[in-house]
Amino acid sequence: MKNDAKIADKFKDFKPNLSDRRNIILGMGLRGFEKLFSLKNKSILFLIGIVYLWTFAFYLLLGQDSYPCNTVSEELKTCTHLNFYGDLQYGGTRIFLVLIAAVASSGLIANDLTDKSIHLYLSRPISRIDYLIARIIPIFLLMLTITLIPNLVVFISQFSKSGLDVDFLSSNMWTLSNLILQAIFYSISYSIIGITFSAAINRESLASAGFFGTVYGVSLIVEIFYGLMSEMDIENSEYILLLSIIHFLDIISYKIFNVDYFVTIFGSPEVIEFPLSIIIGLYVLLFSSFILLVNYIISKMEVTK
Amino acid sequence: MIEAKNVIKKYGQVTALDDFTVDIPKGKIGILGPNGAGKSTFVKIALGLIESTSGEITVLGENLDKNSIEIRKKIGYMPEHDCIPNKMTGVEFLIEMGQVSGLDYQTATQRTHEILGHLRMGEEKYRLIEEYSGGMRQKIKLAQGLVHGPELMFLDEPTSGLDPNARQEMLETINGLAEISNTNVLLSTHILQDVETVCDYVIIINNGKLQIKENVKELVKRQTDTIQIRVGENSDEFISILKQNNNKRNIEITDRWIRIPYKNEESFKEIISAAASAKCQLYEMERIAMTMDNIYLEVVN
Repeated sequence: MKNDAKIADKFKDFKPNLSDRRNIILGMGLRGFEKLFSLKNKSILFLIGIVYLWTFAFYLLLGQDSYPCNTVSEELKTCTHLNFYGDLQYGGTRIFLVLIAAVASSGLIANDLTDKSIHLYLSRPISRIDYLIARIIPIFLLMLTITLIPNLVVFISQFSKSGLDVDFLSSNMWTLSNLILQAIFYSISYSIIGITFSAAINRESLASAGFFGTVYGVSLIVEIFYGLMSEMDIENSEYILLLSIIHFLDIISYKIFNVDYFVTIFGSPEVIEFPLSIIIGLYVLLFSSFILLVNYIISKMEVTK
Repeated sequence: MIEAKNVIKKYGQVTALDDFTVDIPKGKIGILGPNGAGKSTFVKIALGLIESTSGEITVLGENLDKNSIEIRKKIGYMPEHDCIPNKMTGVEFLIEMGQVSGLDYQTATQRTHEILGHLRMGEEKYRLIEEYSGGMRQKIKLAQGLVHGPELMFLDEPTSGLDPNARQEMLETINGLAEISNTNVLLSTHILQDVETVCDYVIIINNGKLQIKENVKELVKRQTDTIQIRVGENSDEFISILKQNNNKRNIEITDRWIRIPYKNEESFKEIISAAASAKCQLYEMERIAMTMDNIYLEVVN
């Protein structure tokens, strides 16, 4: 009886030390990231496996001296590091990256909206923006594991190929920082796009399809249209590429490495230039609109129950 | 506990709260009102989930506009609608909610099992929520609001959609858990009996306005059983005879009615006899039981 009374008193006098918002958000994000690797998410694990298999294959390809300098014309592809990473990620496995982002991000907000548990999350000591950040963290970390880590693997393999020469590291410090920046850039961009689709289409499967279709499908269509417009010598036809999120992100990615952006149209590569101010302005406008849209959708839901 | 001053909330043309002012004391408080009265809107504003159009609210001594996040650490919320994820077990969900409230994993786990124990949930707590009955889902909804040990718990229609047995069990559970966890309760409902069972204080809202704020015990005292009479001429003499017969007890006289306490069936005979003595014509004589329901309906209508 005494023991029972003690337990009851303990329950009654429960005064926990609650952690602050930052820790709550980080905790939510890390738990979400952990869940993406659960065996329930077989499709995600399968796609991650493919990305890493391609990384391994690319590692083997790098061992051959002919790769990649002889594969395209010298003036466009001058064996910069971007080409290595570009070929690793955004040529060979781009479709898988978009697929992983589409599949993994689709449920993050959609599920909370569908079962309405978002009401419970938002009644906790976090703001709406905190909640969004917590939901972006899992997909951001997942994207980092499939953009940054393979890139680092390639970098390390090149370092290894140089005979572990310290000069290689010092002469490639900017490359290393740029590829980290590039991976963060792609990860955050795809995370925001994913979260937007997840909130806007609050059914997981439809959100995945919407994401993939809009990002990958549109890029194929835009590329074909650009090819046709170029053939017809239509002025400023390159601006149509800005309608494709993949091309748009690639343009910024090339800017990070300070090299000319080129796009391969009907088998032949073409250099395309865009003013930096337009690109940055458009990026800020587009992605802040995504965030505002998600915030609006959630706030609207609160009011209407 | 909660102080609202001139709170207005408009959804487009619709005014959900109309210059709403109230000072809610600590304890177990019921917010009563018909559907669409503004109860849920008030609860959501007090939680900081939605913003009022104008006015000021203080919750647990802190200004809601300035400290809404901090205030939520001290508040638990059980929404009206179904809002728990089906693909998690009861335990997983409560631990997650505990952690989102700021508890560490170990404390959240321990607290989860304690609360589920108090809710008399056995092995079913390890089952997926989608397999739960309506009553069990309500229990989980209640438990998630209590998991971080809040000072104040908002319950929005907690018995909505439950059968009578489950409803009774839910009310007992709320009562029991509020007692043992030392939590203040704000119960929003349109069911009068829920307030009677759980609350010390009642606030009645209608059309976004405060209609009444009273201690439940006082309100219960107002429940009366009377005989309502309408008479013709010579009513003064009739009343004085009645007062003599009733030892001047609680005879209520208005322009239209005379109400005297109902004791038993003999009361009717006494009234007829008094009317005959006073040569006063009886137009109507009816027994009126003034229950909580009547009081509520009178206020709301």
